[in-house]
Amino acid sequence: MATRNPDPETGRVNLFDPEIGADPQPVYATLRSKCPVARSTFFDSPVISRYEDVVWGLRHPEIFSSAMEKQMALGTERPMIPQQIDPPAQTRYRRLLDPHFSRRKMEELAPAIRSQANALLDRFLARGECEFDSEFAVPLPCGAFLSLLGLPLSDLGDFLEIKDDIIRPGKRKGVPFVPIPEATAIRAEAGRRMYAYFGSVIDDRTASPRSDLLSSLVHAEIDGEKLSREEILDICFLLLLAGLDTVTATLGCSIAYLASHPEQRQRMVRDPSLIPGAVEELLRFETPVTGVPRIAKQDVTLHGVEIKQGSVVNFLLGAANTDGGHFENADEVDFARARNIHVAFGVGPHRCLGSHLARMEMRVALEEWHRRIPEYAIKPGETPRYSLGIREVMYLPLVWGARA
Amino acid sequence: MRVRVDRAKCVGHGRCYVLGPDLFTDDERGHCVVRSELVPPELETQARLGEENCPEGAISLEAGGR
Repeated sequence: MATRNPDPETGRVNLFDPEIGADPQPVYATLRSKCPVARSTFFDSPVISRYEDVVWGLRHPEIFSSAMEKQMALGTERPMIPQQIDPPAQTRYRRLLDPHFSRRKMEELAPAIRSQANALLDRFLARGECEFDSEFAVPLPCGAFLSLLGLPLSDLGDFLEIKDDIIRPGKRKGVPFVPIPEATAIRAEAGRRMYAYFGSVIDDRTASPRSDLLSSLVHAEIDGEKLSREEILDICFLLLLAGLDTVTATLGCSIAYLASHPEQRQRMVRDPSLIPGAVEELLRFETPVTGVPRIAKQDVTLHGVEIKQGSVVNFLLGAANTDGGHFENADEVDFARARNIHVAFGVGPHRCLGSHLARMEMRVALEEWHRRIPEYAIKPGETPRYSLGIREVMYLPLVWGARA
Repeated sequence: MRVRVDRAKCVGHGRCYVLGPDLFTDDERGHCVVRSELVPPELETQARLGEENCPEGAISLEAGGR
């Protein structure tokens, strides 16, 4: 007999149930209506799901802190900057970093991303099929990341290994989960590789500066002081962890949706001016980064449920984004939605630093893909496989042309 | 119509200057700058789009004004 997930009686929810990967919305709906402060069975910690509660929590870093590098254990030796630091220190780093990730700056990268997208398409277009995750969704954001940092594309393989070992320690062994002690060891080793790799790049850019982000960081100052080597490494660690998987997941979720909703896709193909709206609406409806964690700095009572100081609280962005109290026809996908205040990139002071990069990558990818492959479908008989937490569509076989 | 942005609330989502580029622009950090607090009639749609799509609720509109 299937257990109810979430269970409205106990308020317990299993966010790592493989059943909910492709379609988390029904779970979100029950959470919002029956248990707005639920308890995750996996982490035994609070889960917040209503739009107004998520937004409130993320706008109050003095109550819900991001300083939780110990709880996350991602192979780091110090907090990632600026993600795991609270204001006001975080604000100083954002003042330095924001200009490097502004919309204008990211638009300058668009031609390079466009040509990388086409180079990927060239590899499989004539074949009439591809596995979207490994052949497009993974390599494209990695290429963008390397372009942004000014690193050679030949380093892509190393980056993918390090990132996979940290985010999904079992992936390279082909298993969904590894026991926590082993995962911690894999992550620590990947962390050492990461520090060593970027350490040598920092040495190089210190000796011979170029016009790339890393050179800027080496020579940047906050309040008249240069960043330390550790600070630069802690920024690099964040960029690597936050910049790759998230766009991979967004590409996968968006293309999987478009592949299985031909009418929506065809409308967008006929009128490409809908693409920016489609990017926003798919970010809202699919919310590839399902939630963000914070640590409670004090006891808080919300909807009659006590959240203890020290709890790791999951603010479910995906549930907030489908909250009918804040979105008209929240369960319908409308690429021309007039009012869209989705929080797929978070909200408050930690708004995703890379949001403008992600939006540019998504727009360019959807434009180029649909210009060259306007008609496609999920390969008959196959089922896409979604990972949990960050919803990467890890297996997404597509067909087009004669194979469709 | 008048438009105001609360700079203390703005965190640089950038929805306003993407949807209403003739009325809103961005500073070096990507935070919102209003080009003209007094909204010309032809830009009222952009003002509303900006106000309605700001996830921080940082943009407010006021009817009238000269």
